[in-house]
Amino acid sequence: MKSYFDKVHTWGRISCITTICVLFLVPIVFCIHYNAWPPLQGVLKGLAAVMPLYWATAVAEVISYAPLLGAGGSYLSFVTGNIANLKLPCAISAIENAKVRPNTEEGEVVTTISIAASSLTTTVIIALGVLLFRPILPKITAPESVFAPAFQQIIPALFGAIGASYFIRHLKISVLPILAGALVLVFVPSMQIGVLIIITIVVSIGGAYLMYKKNWV
Amino acid sequence: MFKESKLMYALAAAVILFVIAQSVFFLVKAWKQGKKLGLSSQTMRGTVTSSVLFSIAPAVSVVATVIVLAKALGIVLPWIRLSVIGNITYETTAAEAALNVFNSSVSEPVQDPQQFAAIIWVMTVGCIFPLILLPIFLKSIQKKIGHAAATNAKLADVISAAAFIGLIAAFIARSIVGVGTKDNPADGAGTLSVLVLVVSVLLMVILTKLCDRFKLKWLENFTMPLSMIGAMGAAILLTRYLPPEMLIEWRY
Repeated sequence: MKSYFDKVHTWGRISCITTICVLFLVPIVFCIHYNAWPPLQGVLKGLAAVMPLYWATAVAEVISYAPLLGAGGSYLSFVTGNIANLKLPCAISAIENAKVRPNTEEGEVVTTISIAASSLTTTVIIALGVLLFRPILPKITAPESVFAPAFQQIIPALFGAIGASYFIRHLKISVLPILAGALVLVFVPSMQIGVLIIITIVVSIGGAYLMYKKNWV
Repeated sequence: MFKESKLMYALAAAVILFVIAQSVFFLVKAWKQGKKLGLSSQTMRGTVTSSVLFSIAPAVSVVATVIVLAKALGIVLPWIRLSVIGNITYETTAAEAALNVFNSSVSEPVQDPQQFAAIIWVMTVGCIFPLILLPIFLKSIQKKIGHAAATNAKLADVISAAAFIGLIAAFIARSIVGVGTKDNPADGAGTLSVLVLVVSVLLMVILTKLCDRFKLKWLENFTMPLSMIGAMGAAILLTRYLPPEMLIEWRY
């Protein structure tokens, strides 16, 4: 009998492949319907501008997020996107609240439920937002709106709260990666967040491992 | 107009229904497995509630991005792109890069169907790589972690906490010393981002202590969303009531 994890991987693989097909349907159907095939050179030029960075980031993201999101959670998150600002904090908070350990079957179930609920919420809100609030939303998000600062500061607001839940329990581990991240940014201000994440994760794990060996944590 | 034609809406509907079906499928399967493992319905319901609440504010900011891109691309393409794999920063950059090739930009409406088609191709091909990597590598990545976790539980806990902290640290570091652009006074690190960060951390610490002290089980699921929304509220108040000369960015 197949284990739950094996089944998740089978479903996940099928869902990734079908998603790729569904996604390509959009440009293909559009081009056929309007008989508007773009010049290949234009497409390639555009791709040359974004692909090296995006495909490299994809590798980094799969390696660094997948262990945290669980198997089912990873398949779902990478299909629905917005991982760093949405799915990941959501999964971390769910693991915390349910008091289960990541990388166990219980952790797997909780992260999957959390990310599925988050994906549904996001998809529905985006759809509702687009269809219903289209006329007023520009006013809320416009640079001169009263609400604009709230949306501009969403990253510190989000990661402050998530960070705090870890600082409470793992203060010793937390200091080093934050200092490392800040130091890197001081010297390389234009560092892409995808690359910075890899550095801070390596520093954090290395530091935690040493502290564990010295019986500090 | 081709950008918001019936065909585009039909494509959007197909993509969105597909995403919903997939999420529901995984939700049902995980729920059943949770029952088998003996997780209480209360725990799983709590997970759903907190995840839904948690997602609302960031989802609204995604809608905001859709609206921003709508000026150049119509509302439907950004909607599709941000519902699947989409990510606020990538999609905006991808659209801008593709438009630049045609000497245009996200601040001007796209008029030519061929140009629009090129942009759809660039945005689609640019973003699909994770979906190629996952089916090939995820299983072996997860197996290695599962194995490590089984051999040494205490170390595995420390390491997985460290991995989360490492990730969070990058974003926190950026809020403290990140660089913004010159014409936007609120996109880089500065008084505002640091104060919002501090408010968010403090709210979270206070709410967590309150939950522990008074055994407020119901509040536990709300501590994170409340701290986040509270800090966003603080951003609005600080922008309004702090003297402008105090609202500075460190560098740009």
